[in-house]
Amino acid sequence: MLISCNILKKHIKNSDKIDFVSVWDKFTIRTAEVEGVYLKGNQFDNVVTARILEVEEHPKSKKLHILKVDTGDEQLQIVCGAPNVRVGLIGACIKVGGHIDDIEIGVRPLVGVDSHGMMCSGKELGISDDHTGIIELPEDTPIGVDIKKLFPIEDIIVEIDNKSLTHRPDLWGHYGIAREIAAITGNELLPLDLNTEVPEKKKLKIKINNPESCFRYVGTKLDNINNNKTPLWMQIFLYYAGMRSINLLVDLTNYVMLELGQPMHAFDSRIVKDIEVGFANNGDSYTTLDGTERKLTNEDLMIKNGGKYFAIAGVMGGLDSEIVEDTNSIVLESACFEASTIRKTAIRLGLRTEASARYEKSLDPNMAIIAANRFIKLLKDENPNMSFASAITDIYPTIQGENNIELNKEYLYKYMGFEIDDKTVMHILTSLGFKVKNLSKKFSIVVPTYRSTKDVSIPADIIEEVSRMYGYENFTHVPLKMDMTFGNNEIVYDTEYEVKDYLANKFNLHEVNTYLWNKSQFLKKLNIIVDNVKLLGKTEDNTLRNDLNLSMLEAASVNINNYDEFGIFEIGTIVKEDAKRHLSIMLVRNTDNLKIGYYQIKEYVYSLFKSLKNIDVQYVLLDEKEEYYNNELSLGILANDKLIGYITVFNRKVSAAINKKKSFICADIDFDKYCMLEQNAYTFKEISKYPQTTLDYTIITKRGSFYKNLEEILNKFESPIIMKRELIDIYLDGDTKKVTIRYTVGSLEKTLTSEELNDFKNKFIEFLEQNGLGIFE
Amino acid sequence: MQEKLKDLVARAAEDAKSIKTEADYLNIKSKYLGKKSELAEYMAQIKFMSNDDKKLFGPLFNMIKTEFETLFSDKLEEAENSNEKLKFDPTLPCSNTHGSLHPVTIVGREVTNILKTMGFMIMSGPEMDSEYYNFEALNIPKTHPARDMQDTYWLDNGMLLRTQTSSVQNRAMRKYGAPLKVCVPGRCFRNEDLDASHENTFFQLEGMVIDKNISISNLIYTMEGMLKEVFKKDIKVRLRPGFFPFTEPGFELDCSCTICDGVGCPTCKGSGWIELCPCGMIHPRVLEEGGIDSTKYSGFAFGLGLTRLAMMKYKINDIRVLNSGDLRYLEDFNVR
Repeated sequence: MLISCNILKKHIKNSDKIDFVSVWDKFTIRTAEVEGVYLKGNQFDNVVTARILEVEEHPKSKKLHILKVDTGDEQLQIVCGAPNVRVGLIGACIKVGGHIDDIEIGVRPLVGVDSHGMMCSGKELGISDDHTGIIELPEDTPIGVDIKKLFPIEDIIVEIDNKSLTHRPDLWGHYGIAREIAAITGNELLPLDLNTEVPEKKKLKIKINNPESCFRYVGTKLDNINNNKTPLWMQIFLYYAGMRSINLLVDLTNYVMLELGQPMHAFDSRIVKDIEVGFANNGDSYTTLDGTERKLTNEDLMIKNGGKYFAIAGVMGGLDSEIVEDTNSIVLESACFEASTIRKTAIRLGLRTEASARYEKSLDPNMAIIAANRFIKLLKDENPNMSFASAITDIYPTIQGENNIELNKEYLYKYMGFEIDDKTVMHILTSLGFKVKNLSKKFSIVVPTYRSTKDVSIPADIIEEVSRMYGYENFTHVPLKMDMTFGNNEIVYDTEYEVKDYLANKFNLHEVNTYLWNKSQFLKKLNIIVDNVKLLGKTEDNTLRNDLNLSMLEAASVNINNYDEFGIFEIGTIVKEDAKRHLSIMLVRNTDNLKIGYYQIKEYVYSLFKSLKNIDVQYVLLDEKEEYYNNELSLGILANDKLIGYITVFNRKVSAAINKKKSFICADIDFDKYCMLEQNAYTFKEISKYPQTTLDYTIITKRGSFYKNLEEILNKFESPIIMKRELIDIYLDGDTKKVTIRYTVGSLEKTLTSEELNDFKNKFIEFLEQNGLGIFE
Repeated sequence: MQEKLKDLVARAAEDAKSIKTEADYLNIKSKYLGKKSELAEYMAQIKFMSNDDKKLFGPLFNMIKTEFETLFSDKLEEAENSNEKLKFDPTLPCSNTHGSLHPVTIVGREVTNILKTMGFMIMSGPEMDSEYYNFEALNIPKTHPARDMQDTYWLDNGMLLRTQTSSVQNRAMRKYGAPLKVCVPGRCFRNEDLDASHENTFFQLEGMVIDKNISISNLIYTMEGMLKEVFKKDIKVRLRPGFFPFTEPGFELDCSCTICDGVGCPTCKGSGWIELCPCGMIHPRVLEEGGIDSTKYSGFAFGLGLTRLAMMKYKINDIRVLNSGDLRYLEDFNVR
């Protein structure tokens, strides 16, 4: 929102004492965020009002004219190209020696004729966008006066962040901002200059069908409006505030809205029969002022005239009621609508107007009548003959009261962290328009209605008012008092970090972050269909992931052209009915290295559980996973005999769609389960002091059989002297697979005798024979 | 005799230069110190010498012997060292493999470690959450703009993706009660179009302190202390009024610009301040909803943008890099 300091000054007593450039730093830390402070009217100097005395054709140019201009103290010859030059016009003349946008004006020949200065357009003066001709000042403008002395061209315009005002309906107009500035600088806010006439006329026919959505409707009919020209000072202000000047009646509604924050509407009274406020019928349509036809629902609040839609309440009017050239009588609307009703309609129609932006903030219904009287006062200033054609009709079914709050002083001090004296509290609150009674242990506070609609309702709200005006920069910094009771802790975050750190620093893997949903394009390319919980209102990238490996695959595909072989991981959420945390590790390997990569990922997972949980994970063959995996290569991961995850490889069809030469090996671990695992206790292991013997056996198995099968058999062979069993070598020979294993045998108590050793050997060979396994000598 | 010895020493010094291998060393050692060496011959003559000569030559022979031993072994070591050098090039670049942690992980770890020293516990919460925890329990009314589809990812199972880690506030209060010092790092989601400074998926860290007599003054101290540790700089903080339904009063916290130290630069748009972290005193209704008596207890909460912090710390100029998975950007964060 753009704020003009010239307008603020009108509302503050002794405003000349305030430095309106620096005060905004204070405003930022007391009230709301200021996005910029812009100085207006300093891009030119030496511009005076001047009357055109003579207009002559230029001998060599059809476009140019040679003017004789009266600038008060002298008559100048000026060559001018504007089409609107005429004798008697009062314009703005920049004299020789003056500056505009850093250019100095000198005597300059234009097609052979000297020009002693320049007549300016509104755009050149920075007070309008009009560059079609020179500016035409009002006929009663005195000649030869510095234009900046006559009109409020010099101004300080302040941009305030709208987002920081969402909770402050009172700050959506200059008057509310002026109240804050007055309070911040210790000055007095001046009362508004309002119409006080109470016309003894018939009331307008106004009916509110839905008082829960229309809190108040003030309407009045005004006649004899003959002057519809906006005074220049107001045009300049509207331009600075980012609005376009149209005509007096429209401009006045906008002016009052910018001044008081109350949106208003002026209808051409020739159209108005009776006014009704109520919801639309589902499916009806209505064409708004901008010429667009809009579909309505029964949640859209409408103003109706003679039973027909007339305006979308609080959002936008229609074409038929627009103020036109010959309008000389209006019906003024100054109403208050319920915030969320207006908000919903504005959003649904995609029509966020200045009016709807304000209504969304919960305006004070009491402002509606004040604003109407302000409008009437300003209109009368420009139209002294204006007359009332109706009473000021005020339909106000539920009156907005003032909130009453009791603030316990003890509570205030506790909240602020120190004691603040009563006088300061009273002064701050009074300056903001609150009424305060100082009772011994508390303050009894009446909140003005413009702060009562939603903003200030509980003691903590009052504490905010006191604290911010006291100044947060004046607060002492007080450390928290130490509490030495043992605190609670949850291990999830630390566990997560521990795992990430381990994977990154031990196995040189890279952590990535990916999205909670699958990318539609990516899945389509791979011909994978995921059916899962969906984001509403989106058609692309709208399915939440149920397999973190797919996200890793997507991240891998991003890097596939930049890296040969690499490994990535993430701990992230997947959704399968509930949200769960999973860890996914992916190794990208050249297809020739699939075997190496597969063994690596097994080792990583094993090592992770062993190092961080002291758990020896087991791997089991898995029957089935998703069809986009090569399920022949799927292994389940068992921790303490419970399935906690799996290792697998994306199938050739999927991997070839990304890159024919790569394989994508991944491990997926249920991280919630991982966090729940207790670390196994470390127990001291005794080392034998006696010599041990190693015995190597090469066992012949069938080619193509899994080692796992052999291992399961070997596990059944038990002997008290086995200290360790290792896999030494595998050798493929024809259709056999020769597996060399090594037993380390010994005892903690003694050296084994040769009988004991022979006994072991015999028993083992016998065991192998029983299980149909041969030995390679 | 003295002349002969001088000559011997000179010859030995010359021969020593030719030691390149262990074999050379042994040959030369036996030539000059062996039983049949010249020196041994001279030493054998000592018993025939006069007493004066014995006193002179005895120590001299020993000295020469020691000198030879050191000389030869030094030469051998020298040769061995230079042999090693010839076998490889010590100036070749070493292999450069390393893993990496995500920048947000690193920053999150730093911040939580700091908060731990202040006695905060770390909690986690679900990314898919209910309307109750994300809005209702935080005093965000049904009509509040934040609940719109434009801002929130609603799901077809009636849940939503949490828009803020504040969704854990109520859980923390219900689970642990007061007093409480807790922080919650985690992913949040907002329905935003992506550009260099907007992401729909980002990390926040929620902090919350509840006890008897917790004041605005405590909040200012804690935030300033924490941020000094985070930035390792003597930064200043300032509070501005800010509005969040779950705080009262609510603040926007600015810290003095970490680039220019508050003088004014392009990063802080000349103001000397950077908007960093919304915070505030916990709204009494939020406390009550969490089962905590707001007449006895008060507290403050803050929401630190971890993603933003990581970007500031590592001067990352495009937020989209962080969720891109592109290792060209990410692989260098190889710090513990």
